[in-house]
Amino acid sequence: MSSGTKTQTPSAIESHPPEPKESREWLWSLILGLVILGLVATVPVLGDASALHTWTLIIMFVVLAQSWNFIGGFTGYSAFGNVVFFGIGAYTTGLMLLGNQPFWLGLVAGALVAALFAFLLGLPVLRLRGHYFAIATLGIAEAMREFVTVRDVGGGGGGLMSLPLPSLASYVGFFYAFLGLSLLCLLITVFLTRSRFGYALIAIRESEQAAEALGVPTYWYKVGAFVLSAVPTALAGGLYAYWATGFDPDTVFNVSVSVEMVLLTVLGGPGTIVGPILGAIAFEYASFQLQTSGFSLHNTLLGLSIVIVTIFLPQGILRLIREFVRKPAPGTPRANRLVEGVRRVRRFIAANGV
Amino acid sequence: MSDALSQPTGSNDSSHSDEREASCHDTPLLQLVGVTKRFGGLAAVNDLSFSLQKGEILGVIGPNGAGKSTMVNLIGGSMAPTSGAIFYQGHDINRLPPNRRAHLGIVRTFQITQPFMGLDVRENVMVGAFFGQRGLDRARALHVADEVLERVNLAHKATFKGDQITIADRKRLEMARALATNPQLLLLDEVMAGLTATEVAQAVELIQQINETGVTVLVIEHIVRAIATVSNRILVLHHGRKIAEDKPSQVLSDPRVIEAYLGERYAKRRIQEENGVSSITLEDLPQNEEDR
Repeated sequence: MSSGTKTQTPSAIESHPPEPKESREWLWSLILGLVILGLVATVPVLGDASALHTWTLIIMFVVLAQSWNFIGGFTGYSAFGNVVFFGIGAYTTGLMLLGNQPFWLGLVAGALVAALFAFLLGLPVLRLRGHYFAIATLGIAEAMREFVTVRDVGGGGGGLMSLPLPSLASYVGFFYAFLGLSLLCLLITVFLTRSRFGYALIAIRESEQAAEALGVPTYWYKVGAFVLSAVPTALAGGLYAYWATGFDPDTVFNVSVSVEMVLLTVLGGPGTIVGPILGAIAFEYASFQLQTSGFSLHNTLLGLSIVIVTIFLPQGILRLIREFVRKPAPGTPRANRLVEGVRRVRRFIAANGV
Repeated sequence: MSDALSQPTGSNDSSHSDEREASCHDTPLLQLVGVTKRFGGLAAVNDLSFSLQKGEILGVIGPNGAGKSTMVNLIGGSMAPTSGAIFYQGHDINRLPPNRRAHLGIVRTFQITQPFMGLDVRENVMVGAFFGQRGLDRARALHVADEVLERVNLAHKATFKGDQITIADRKRLEMARALATNPQLLLLDEVMAGLTATEVAQAVELIQQINETGVTVLVIEHIVRAIATVSNRILVLHHGRKIAEDKPSQVLSDPRVIEAYLGERYAKRRIQEENGVSSITLEDLPQNEEDR
């Protein structure tokens, strides 16, 4: 539609520069995300059973990172207790299975319970900001683990170690279920970057005060984002429960999983479309490689990554890549682009990290 | 309040504002009655009363710490008054949160600009369009945003991110976002501070244009000359109290105002020199006291 402006005289262009086109970054991000998930989809065909097992878990973490991104990345509220939704999903689905209900009903029930829990929990904690919000959510996850353990829910501290075995689904089926969930999260994320709802969340992240002044009912949007991040997490929990055919409270309410959700997202690029996917795949793959090569370095890697990310990559890998490929100033010789890109990345780290 | 909420979106609102003017020309658009805001022992705004008629441009000046921004916070709803009441179109709005006030048409800008960094300039403005007006789809909101950006002369930077623009453009963006909500009452908190003389002139012109579309404007500013040219009336705050409220020429020759702004000694000297007839010109007053 701006093609008409190109025929103007030079002076007219000077006073009225052609209107810039809308950024197509979301489209490229969507394509990149689809390509990555498409490549991962070949694992059951090309890989062996152990690869399938590893990648099932990796994709599960991709889903966890993607759903944390809704509240932590888009809305900017560092929720440190999102594992609680994972646990709720796992327990609800598990208990439903033990009650001889169909699996899909268990999944749906888990998602609903988690959504309701996120809503009720969000009402008080989303009145808090910054550190207070982070601490409050952290506390909830621990409290839930204790509660389940002490009150002997579904077997108490021992957890639900024996579920009815998977009858219909195979391991490949579970893999694609997780992958489908990840695809769903990808589409939701793309929707967020383009929609009224998503704009509101980003506005809340950048300046809650200004968002409020422009008419955004910030409180309810935050609660909405919290519920939105709870649902896929609970679905992943439900899938995990059946896939693992058993779990215990220490696993599904493990606070370090919460921390991992935060790390994976921040590592990849919080509030971006493919950031959580990249971050989760990179970190979890490295972690599994180390595990299978005999080192039990998962926690060390987790700790080191947190340090490195906070120092050098406060806005994630993706932001660095974006900085590298950004269009150089007009007149930059082609040969210098690489040098220019590296220089820009170094400048970016210097400005934002350390 | 419901009539403002159910206003048809996106339509040219001049006909509506005419109607409203006819129906409410006796009730002021905005009225503050004995409004006080205390922070501990300090009264940032002290027993402030004034009213604003539809279609006016009211300038508010005062030295640093006079309570101007607190006043904007009180009207905008991000602070609740310690005592007193604020009426909008005759309704008490004291208990309404900022977002509800925005829906009624009261929209503010921020002295310290707060662009949404993660969004580009156009998307920033779209937030205003999406949430200030009801039921806009994406295409409509885009259209509104482009229109507003054109008006504030920011269209050529529509795809810049919020942190890639200059301070003058950030001020424009604040205005653009507010305008996109289709406001009835626009509260401009120092939108000219830090701008060059040319940019100030553009801003003054823009405020006049906005006012001509039927928007009532309350403009807070340090730049006395700019505010004097643009305002119908000027209200002077000092230590949270209203010390003058009149036509620009009257206010700016008021000895109390000169004293508040330039200090007692200067005021005395002026008055001695002029032998009691104060004819201080606008140019004598500070152009820009921004540095803080």
